[in-house]
Amino acid sequence: MRELTLQARSATIHTLFLVCICIALMVADHRQNYFEVFRSQLSLTLSPLRYLVSLPALAGNWVSDWYKSHTELLIENAALKAEGRKLNARLQKMRVLMAENTRLRNLLGSSRNLADEVIVAELLSVDQNPYRQLIEINKGTNDGVQIGFAVIDDFGVMGQVIHVNQISATTILISDPEHATPVQFIRSGIRSIAFGNGSTDQLELRYLPATADIKIGDELVTSGLGGRFPADYPVATITEIKQDLTYGFVSIIAKPKARLDSSREVLIIKPAG
Amino acid sequence: MPRLRYLVIVLSFIIGLILMILPLPDWVQIYRPHWVALILIYWSMALPKRVGLWSAFFIGLLVDTAQGTLLGQHAMALVIIVYININFYQRVRVLSLAQQAIYVFVLLAMIQVVVAWVEGIMGRPVPILAFFSAPFIGMLIWPWVFVILRDIRRKFILN
Repeated sequence: MRELTLQARSATIHTLFLVCICIALMVADHRQNYFEVFRSQLSLTLSPLRYLVSLPALAGNWVSDWYKSHTELLIENAALKAEGRKLNARLQKMRVLMAENTRLRNLLGSSRNLADEVIVAELLSVDQNPYRQLIEINKGTNDGVQIGFAVIDDFGVMGQVIHVNQISATTILISDPEHATPVQFIRSGIRSIAFGNGSTDQLELRYLPATADIKIGDELVTSGLGGRFPADYPVATITEIKQDLTYGFVSIIAKPKARLDSSREVLIIKPAG
Repeated sequence: MPRLRYLVIVLSFIIGLILMILPLPDWVQIYRPHWVALILIYWSMALPKRVGLWSAFFIGLLVDTAQGTLLGQHAMALVIIVYININFYQRVRVLSLAQQAIYVFVLLAMIQVVVAWVEGIMGRPVPILAFFSAPFIGMLIWPWVFVILRDIRRKFILN
């Protein structure tokens, strides 16, 4: 009996100690990223599990590629070739424009870099916290990925890297309630901030004056302010403007351009310079 | 190497972690039971000398990494339920499976409360009802977890 009481007492002391450690860890993890190294090591030990779990999805893709019929492949090939030609034609014009742009920028003495380096990555199909919008991608520090790098798909901005280990990285999507993207309207040039609200097809723009020049269908691009996202990548299209006359501001809903819930291949942008 | 048998416990936790990151359709995700907690409750009840507070702490940190929550969020929750378990396991062991399941529901709900509490402090929205659907499913699953793990324990003569 005495042994049991002793056991219970030592358990209480241990528990208090561990709970204190946990609270300290949480505070440190929330305030500053002191434990990024530790977290990335833990995350690395989990990596085999992540790859194992996403194996069926990868195998599924592989099998469906393998069994695509010859005609299907031919059609796809032709479509891709046509697409490639179109893009090439556009690229030729772009090159001229870029050269001109650089020349003009040099004249103005502005040093903004236009070309960004990209890393191609694939999604690991693993689930994380169901109440947050996080995805895991299969490139890490070994491939040069670092915290803060922007992640895009072929349609627009998806999010940014928040944790990274040697072989995989966690990306927060722009639709996460904790994420805010600095944006700019292409048409009117107004700058604002797009907040996520937890659903993958909505972003919110708050606190824009009711008199601002905004229409449904306006396109948003990254403004480059804040230094995390490079400027001028497409972000979203305005779908709804809620005007409340008793209130000086409008609240605006936009639809992300990137396919946040269905893209499998993503590009990680290495900031230039 | 008779001690090698105990790797089975580690293996069971690995399977638990896999079940926690296994991709599910969006609407099912909130019903996913806390597999790691279920397994932890079993082992800390069956072998309290082998699986205790420190195991709970380290497994919790792994869960936090897997889920992208703050380091320590699940660790704290798991340490607390193992502490409760240390004080009650002798009484709970003799209960029927159905009664145990209710006890397990309380523990699982406690994890959710701790996790939700931390989320709340950070100012994130917490969907209260959705948070308690997972412990409910966990409660329904407990008898199976118990029987499977008990058979494993007997097969590998872990004590």
